[in-house]
Amino acid sequence: MNRLLPTLAITVLTGGLLLSNPISAQFVPSAKKAAHVRILKGPELESATENLTIIRWTSDNPGGSPEHFGVVHYGTDPKNLSQTAKSHIRLNPTHSYTVFRVRMDNLKPRTRYYYTVDSMEPNGRSDGVTSPIKTFTTP
Amino acid sequence: MNRRKLIALSAVFVTAVAALLISSQTVLVSARNGGARGQNGDREEPPPPFYNPYPTGILPADLNSEIARVLREVDNIEFEALAQLRALPSPTLTNQPPILAHTGQRLNVLLGKVMNFDKNISPFKDRACGFCHMPYVGFSGPIPSVNLTMVAYPGSFQFRAGKRTAQRYTYSPSFPVLNYNETQAAFFGGNFWDSRATGYKLGSPDEEQAQGPPVDTQEHMLPDTACIAFRLQTAVYKPFFIEVWGDAIDTIKFPHNTEEICGTPGGASVFGTNTMPIKLSSADRSIANDVYDHWAQSIDQYETSPDVSAFSSKFDAFLHDPATNPLTADEMAGYNLFRGKANCNSCHLDGRSTAPTPATGTAPNGEDTGAAADTRPVFTCFGSANLGLPLNPRDAIYYQDKPDFFGFTANPFGFGFRDLGLGAFLRSGPGSWASPNDTWTQFAPTSDGQMQTSSARNVALVPPQCPTTEAPGPYFQKEFFHNGYIKSLKQLVHFYNTRDVFAFQFNVTSGHCPTGTTEKVDCWPMPEVPNNIDMTIGKLGLSDTEENQIVAFLQTLSDGFTRPYPDINTFTGMCTTCNPATDPNCSSSRQGNNFLIPTPSPLPPCASVICGVAPLPGPKPIP
Repeated sequence: MNRLLPTLAITVLTGGLLLSNPISAQFVPSAKKAAHVRILKGPELESATENLTIIRWTSDNPGGSPEHFGVVHYGTDPKNLSQTAKSHIRLNPTHSYTVFRVRMDNLKPRTRYYYTVDSMEPNGRSDGVTSPIKTFTTP
Repeated sequence: MNRRKLIALSAVFVTAVAALLISSQTVLVSARNGGARGQNGDREEPPPPFYNPYPTGILPADLNSEIARVLREVDNIEFEALAQLRALPSPTLTNQPPILAHTGQRLNVLLGKVMNFDKNISPFKDRACGFCHMPYVGFSGPIPSVNLTMVAYPGSFQFRAGKRTAQRYTYSPSFPVLNYNETQAAFFGGNFWDSRATGYKLGSPDEEQAQGPPVDTQEHMLPDTACIAFRLQTAVYKPFFIEVWGDAIDTIKFPHNTEEICGTPGGASVFGTNTMPIKLSSADRSIANDVYDHWAQSIDQYETSPDVSAFSSKFDAFLHDPATNPLTADEMAGYNLFRGKANCNSCHLDGRSTAPTPATGTAPNGEDTGAAADTRPVFTCFGSANLGLPLNPRDAIYYQDKPDFFGFTANPFGFGFRDLGLGAFLRSGPGSWASPNDTWTQFAPTSDGQMQTSSARNVALVPPQCPTTEAPGPYFQKEFFHNGYIKSLKQLVHFYNTRDVFAFQFNVTSGHCPTGTTEKVDCWPMPEVPNNIDMTIGKLGLSDTEENQIVAFLQTLSDGFTRPYPDINTFTGMCTTCNPATDPNCSSSRQGNNFLIPTPSPLPPCASVICGVAPLPGPKPIP
């Protein structure tokens, strides 16, 4: 072991670019973007604890990218829903409707909040969901 | 009681106590590294003392005998593969470009197989790739007690261990080169749980995956990639390597101290930061690099072949001809849930477009437009997700915070370690690899906690004598997800179904569920990484029966239905059984709960070199 003295690193790295393998094509289906996305159920409070609240709603399948986000705009003043929470979901491209669920962490306890919901593609493009202003109170 | 009986009973008692003492000390007494060293006269020093920083109970009591058992199985497969190689007619080199005609592909597959089960590819000649990836479990972890306790497998210098479960080989070659899809703002492809084997250089993530464990400091532990060429120079199968890849390997002139270097585990302080301690000429280093690439390419061919990725499951038979190969009623119900109410196929793509319209539930309805099914679906979208799994305090990584005999410390942060998965890789963070693409670094905060979406195929594959993964058995104890927190398929489906249902999930860690609740049944601890949690799952509204039906469907994805799965009969260990009448945890729902241990409380904060590295995790810091 003692004879093993640290040696100078050999800095020559070879390319080693050899035969590349044909890889099966990535399979990430996309669906046609829906012209108008309606909320079919909710939005509503799915659960609420001291540390976490989940808002849930069901809409037409918005289509487009399978990678999608549910978005909740919220605040304690119904005229100023300045805060935003969003959660990732993955669309099932040809299912006719989609359940969105959004986690909202660290809300103030025993506080009344107002919120609206929307959904969006990863690039921020809104699905244009029309949502009523709803409310809940944290435990 | 007469004197003779007393003596006899005393003898039995003493023997029993001695046996207990010996068995409880098995790991401490008999564990010695380098059992294979010296056999060839290549070592004179005594083997180094084992590394055991673990509290009692982290290492399973049968670890040594189980290691020996798997090593015997590895040798058996190696012996068989060598015989297959020798029996193969030689290919004919012909054509322009040159082709090894007739049997060249089989030759390369079998070459990959003998290299995969070669124990010499480690400092102490005691770890082959197959040691952690055996065929009878879909090439995942083969030791039930390890799957139940320490999660990660012990490497060549015992008992250094990694931090994650051994992923299945099956269908891993299907993953494309890691790429960032700008439209979907997500990564797809790569190999390993954190996708760090990108394929950026060889064009194949699976090949670059095969180049990881041989030089991983907690797996094979070779200190220099050139050690592969060095060991292959004396491999019995070298003529076959030369037949496929040419004879340049024989021209490498290794210095006299190469065996000493390759017999010393990577990470040893004697190496410092030098990753190429073998002094080679530039030309020889190039050849050694090429040999390392060829090693990976042949192993990839083995994993791609029907020997590993067989497409021979009951589901494949069903896809081929559902009339002749129908699923049972429960399996079919599970399949419809998988692609309907439970929405599993939003990520574990099944090749069909949608589900038949379910009658009830919150599932998306839809018309089944999937007439033209993918006939070889691999049940993954090749993406990554943070499912919100709790930190598993049994994971061996948390305890390796002290230097070993060689001066190496796998995890200086102890319980300050957090596994950020893809996010850690994008930051080139501790425990991952350097990212080959700086433009990806910005996406680390939106990737923290994400782990690769595994193919659902072979998640249930078990050896024939243990026909299920589920208690009461007889069953084969597997471990699921990256940190092995889940111990049965029932628990796996229940987690997807109820993660967000039970109130206590948000403020306890594993081992601290409140009295009156049962962890994994009606209490899920808080996620290890609270950012980027996927909300496709968490409250699916499945009944207990529906959960079981999905498990039944998952079991149809095990290869070996249409034809025997190669080397499925190589398991020589014991199945697990339990008695529900006497063991409250003898059920698929509570399987493994006897082995829950409390997470340290309070949990030390995430180490700054993990969670304090720009771009910082967000929007909230990771606790």
